[in-house]
Amino acid sequence: MMRRKFRTAIRAFAFCLMFIIPILNIYEIYAITGTYYAVNLGGLGVADPSAILQSIFAAGSLTVPLMGAALFPVLLALLFGRVWCGWMCPYLVMSDGVNRVRRIWSKTPTQQSIPVQSPLRANVTRFVFLVIGIILAGAIGIPVLNYVNAPGILSAETMILVKNHRFTIEILFILSILLIELLLFPRFWCRLFCPTGSVVSAFKTPLTLRVENHIKNPKAPCCKEHYCFGVCPMGLDPYKESKDLLCVNCGKCIDACPYDRLNYEGFMLSN
Amino acid sequence: MSSFFKRIFGDVGNPLTDNYAVNRMRPPGAVDEKQFMALCIRCNRCLEVCPYGSIKREGVSPTIGTPYVFGENRACYLCMACMRLCPTGALNKDLRSPEKVAMGKARIDKSICYSHLFLREDVLPDHTGGKIGAICNTCYNVCPLQERAITLRQNLFPEVLDGCVGCGICVERCPTRPRRAINITPSGMGNADEAGFYFQKAHKHYEKSVDQASKKAQTPETGALNIDQLLERKQTLGGETPTFAPPSDVIGPATGSE
Repeated sequence: MMRRKFRTAIRAFAFCLMFIIPILNIYEIYAITGTYYAVNLGGLGVADPSAILQSIFAAGSLTVPLMGAALFPVLLALLFGRVWCGWMCPYLVMSDGVNRVRRIWSKTPTQQSIPVQSPLRANVTRFVFLVIGIILAGAIGIPVLNYVNAPGILSAETMILVKNHRFTIEILFILSILLIELLLFPRFWCRLFCPTGSVVSAFKTPLTLRVENHIKNPKAPCCKEHYCFGVCPMGLDPYKESKDLLCVNCGKCIDACPYDRLNYEGFMLSN
Repeated sequence: MSSFFKRIFGDVGNPLTDNYAVNRMRPPGAVDEKQFMALCIRCNRCLEVCPYGSIKREGVSPTIGTPYVFGENRACYLCMACMRLCPTGALNKDLRSPEKVAMGKARIDKSICYSHLFLREDVLPDHTGGKIGAICNTCYNVCPLQERAITLRQNLFPEVLDGCVGCGICVERCPTRPRRAINITPSGMGNADEAGFYFQKAHKHYEKSVDQASKKAQTPETGALNIDQLLERKQTLGGETPTFAPPSDVIGPATGSE
């Protein structure tokens, strides 16, 4: 329960930060600037690793500012996995909200209506999407995947909203994928396409923070209620698939398990 | 891929990376357009830090999401705040002095500039029937790099010099409508060998409009005179001073100065 409150607080803060940063900057406080494409925290440059990867291929050169900006997110991904997605990404917050709306009138539970149920196929889809995007970026010299970078666009739009009191056309992209998640394919963007999530999950190592089941290799759900299945935002079945690349380390399944069989394990938590 | 674009668009290049328009400049310190499109990750930090709100996120266009300064709307005031925040080096961090910015070059359209009109024709009716044509020189007065970027020849008409950095303040303040008499050609656009599809299109439009404007503006006795002769004529006093008709009378096109 503690964990859930902690996570909710961090996500709420990360979501509000999209509005706080431009407001601070209106008052000329530049200690923290940027959008979720790239943030500058008091001199520490942090940029979306998928954007950096594309820029490297598009420009055909490795420069120091590019590498420096990617350093922190890569380090975070090596240690904590996809915590960016699970604990910070503003798009997943909106996706969760849409899913909650969907549950009110939908008869079928989300887990049964998500497209591409198999985690392996979902992973293949999103990595193929990422590789095609990077090859295209290298070919035409433009980081094309930034056109569909949901958290980046979202925070850029809120910034323009705060500063100029208007939206640009790109808000339609966010609205359309939210509408598709609401009406047709729940959770499809993060599971099947999001380039940032793909790049971040590629840094998963055996030492990275992960969710583990204390019962090794369970063949069937380890309890008959099967609480963990319904809560996973990535459509995994946490009792056996918790170590999959799709896992965002959100910890919802850990909170849902009444028998404390699931827990975080990783570089320093392992016994 | 490049051969694919060549087949579609002929020899004019890639329309995605060669997208230029008059009065639409990259923020100061931008590296050359092709490199900029590769490096810019659309994070909009430059837009965020701009204290004048000059930098805008581009809407529907091949360069959607990238930052631009739209000179006609709000020009760049050369505060040099944006480039040090760029995380990828699309804006050159080492640039410090406003004189070294190269966003573009201003170009004066002599056929509609008030000062040039005054030089040629003294007073002319504009589209509303009111009298125009005066020593305006707004572009000179607002320029942050006076005498480096723009000068007044004989205190009569403005002339753009090589020091122009293309900030666009003159464009923002130029009083002529609907077209501005002074326009910025963004750097990269003027180079016809490197510029592509959109440049060629824009250039054709520009030539066409200049042709039409010059046809309209040409009058037999001043058409042949060059600018020095015109200046000379202005400086030798004598001749009749133009008399102004009372403004309430003039509704239709007035017939010059009587």
